[in-house]
Amino acid sequence: MSREELLRDRCRQLLADGAVAMVVGWRAGSRSGTAQPCFITKPEDTAQLICDERCSQNIAGYLARVKHMGKLAVVARGCDSRSIVCLLKERQLERDRLHIIGVGCTGIRENGELSDACSTCVQPNPVLCDEMVGEATPQPGAIAKPAETGPTPDTRWQELSAEVARCIRCYACRQACPNCYCPVCFVDATQPQLVGKTTGLSDNMVFHIMRALHMAGRCVECGACSRACPMQIDLMRFNREAARIARERFGTSAGMNLEEPPALAAFDPNDPQEFIR
Amino acid sequence: MEESHPAEPPESGFEPKIVAFLCNWCSYAGADLAGISRIQYPASIRVIRVPCSGRVDPFHILQALQHGADGVLVSGCHPGDCHYLTGNYVARRRFAVLNDLLEFCGIEPGRVTFAWVSASEGERFAQLVREVTARVKTLGPNRKLMLEPL
Repeated sequence: MSREELLRDRCRQLLADGAVAMVVGWRAGSRSGTAQPCFITKPEDTAQLICDERCSQNIAGYLARVKHMGKLAVVARGCDSRSIVCLLKERQLERDRLHIIGVGCTGIRENGELSDACSTCVQPNPVLCDEMVGEATPQPGAIAKPAETGPTPDTRWQELSAEVARCIRCYACRQACPNCYCPVCFVDATQPQLVGKTTGLSDNMVFHIMRALHMAGRCVECGACSRACPMQIDLMRFNREAARIARERFGTSAGMNLEEPPALAAFDPNDPQEFIR
Repeated sequence: MEESHPAEPPESGFEPKIVAFLCNWCSYAGADLAGISRIQYPASIRVIRVPCSGRVDPFHILQALQHGADGVLVSGCHPGDCHYLTGNYVARRRFAVLNDLLEFCGIEPGRVTFAWVSASEGERFAQLVREVTARVKTLGPNRKLMLEPL
């Protein structure tokens, strides 16, 4: 049996046994080559489930919205499971109300090309799961892609300005991100208003700096925001920098360890402070 | 969309506006000590007193730059001396991320300065303001993050 058939069988069984109230996974999207999240409560509907390179969404972001349904089974690849770990650490989900079905991932493809985020994936297999379906993917070697930055502040500013100037502030990146669950996002806050709502360069840059700041130590570099962006802004550039800062300054990688506290909710008296006078 | 002006020299007679977020317990008292000791330092800073450096949200710093500041100074108690025990440790992590992201985005180093100043360091505070003012003067007016007039 193929992995997809094994997955459907297993999910059908879980629903039929009443072990879970809902299965959260992907099904084929309305356009060919795309997928969409699906929320299955009837055993016979598990035939819709797919799990392949079309599944571009990070499924962890949908769990909190259906957690009132009861115990959830969720299909999770490496990045999905890391996001689930983040959400568990931030008390957005409860471990005993989740049944995580792990799958090895071979990368997301958009129009036949490997997604940019997947090209630097370090964790194709789940870090946390209750069972694995199908074979695990061989662990890739170290391919930490350095953040691409210009040599001087002005060249960096010009490069990034060209990216963020295209932003139309639709917040698709926020909607796609499993970490963005705040009831009132900073961009929507009005009392006080934290960032202007214009699409001028200054407001856009502040939005993207603050989005990246909130991602430090939390972004699992799944690339869901990049793939959701209608303006093709290279959001992974900001995400990789945020992840690099958390890694190099605080020694943490998001979602790899359930025991570690979130990077910005903790401190070490010996944190580096060479930038402070 | 406004371009940045890397080649343009600082305007002649340019006096920078620097917003200083000072913690009530150490740096604000340090500034006070500099004052009552009659130590001279540039009148470039606009002080905002905050209860703790942990109160300073990265938004405050960016908004100051958006709304007319040429530089920002954030100062609190030395590590271990926080009135609220750990406020400055938590703030330090946030500032570290903001500092690195600003550098990544191409905001000139020195535009935003972080410092620890205790209540007894009046001379150190005055010297800090002298140095920050000189640094921002050489950088010239803040054009990158400044909001365009409507």
